[in-house]
Amino acid sequence: MNKKNNKEGFNTPEGYFEDFSDRLMDRISNSESDQKETLLPKSDGFRVPDGYFDSLNQGIQDKINKDTPKVIALHRRRKFYYYAAAAVAAIVLLTIGIRTNSSVEPTFEGLAKTEIEEYFEYNDLGLSTYEIAEVIPVDELEISDIMDDEIEEENIIDYLDDSIENIDELNLTDYEY
Amino acid sequence: MIAEESLIKELKQLETQAKAFEVLVNTYKERLYWHIRRIVLNHDDTDDVLQNTFIKVYKNINGFKGESKLYSWMYRIATNEALTFLKQKSKKLGIGNSELQEKMVSNLQADVYFEGDEIQLKLQKAIATLPEKQKLVFNMKYYQEMKYEEISEILNTSVGGLKASYHLAVKKVESYLKGG
Repeated sequence: MNKKNNKEGFNTPEGYFEDFSDRLMDRISNSESDQKETLLPKSDGFRVPDGYFDSLNQGIQDKINKDTPKVIALHRRRKFYYYAAAAVAAIVLLTIGIRTNSSVEPTFEGLAKTEIEEYFEYNDLGLSTYEIAEVIPVDELEISDIMDDEIEEENIIDYLDDSIENIDELNLTDYEY
Repeated sequence: MIAEESLIKELKQLETQAKAFEVLVNTYKERLYWHIRRIVLNHDDTDDVLQNTFIKVYKNINGFKGESKLYSWMYRIATNEALTFLKQKSKKLGIGNSELQEKMVSNLQADVYFEGDEIQLKLQKAIATLPEKQKLVFNMKYYQEMKYEEISEILNTSVGGLKASYHLAVKKVESYLKGG
């Protein structure tokens, strides 16, 4: 390669190829930063109220203290009444519980559809569409699970009749798939 | 930079907890504030989310195992809190996420704590069009100048994936700004 270039009489400055890639990368990064400066502003225009950061610490401390409930010691005599009341309540509940034990346990079928829908509406499951798709196998899904009304075969034929000029074109042969 | 290990130790001990927590808040409040602000845009909402973030940190510090850096753990909590806040907001208003993003940006024009000019407002509009992940990466890399390795630990995504996301985000934002 060099030989040929020498024959043609062309020459390059000493060390030209050694630092070529460095100079190229410098130029690319410079042109990128130039572009960024002209297109994207570095400051975003947001500001905070004066003294906000100075008072933040106190605000958080207040909230933490408010969240932590204070422990109040129970008076001895009061304690006795509480225990007595609890014992009476327990006996009453047990008696009622034994009598009405025949009540039906809730079942999945027994839940109203609206209750289930409401649960999903107001509780964030934290699953994306893709994650849901991963756990539900495709072969267990019916078209009616996704669409409200099932498409009648008749309607499909009508649609094809209206929108396809030559219905024979739909009869694809194997190699056309 | 504070010595993280000793601070965590102090945070877990009852007698040193209050003082250590004050140090923690003072060290990270501004960084976390700007991280949250660029997600929720409005100052009052940011203040709510930031306070909730610190309260969560305070309540869960005993469960912090030290598998990641304290700083990344707090950023992760802040990110989750901010995104959950937006989800709840869109549910409350009965609108989708993209509609909410548009609404948030249009509210900026009347926001006393936004002093951006026309270009800065347009930039916010452009960022609002990005998918969630690209938006986070763009804000963390472009404005907060975080390293890919740091972002990778916070968002639990490979450095390669982050570079691709950032590249795509910059291209989209630029073409939005060029588009008039």
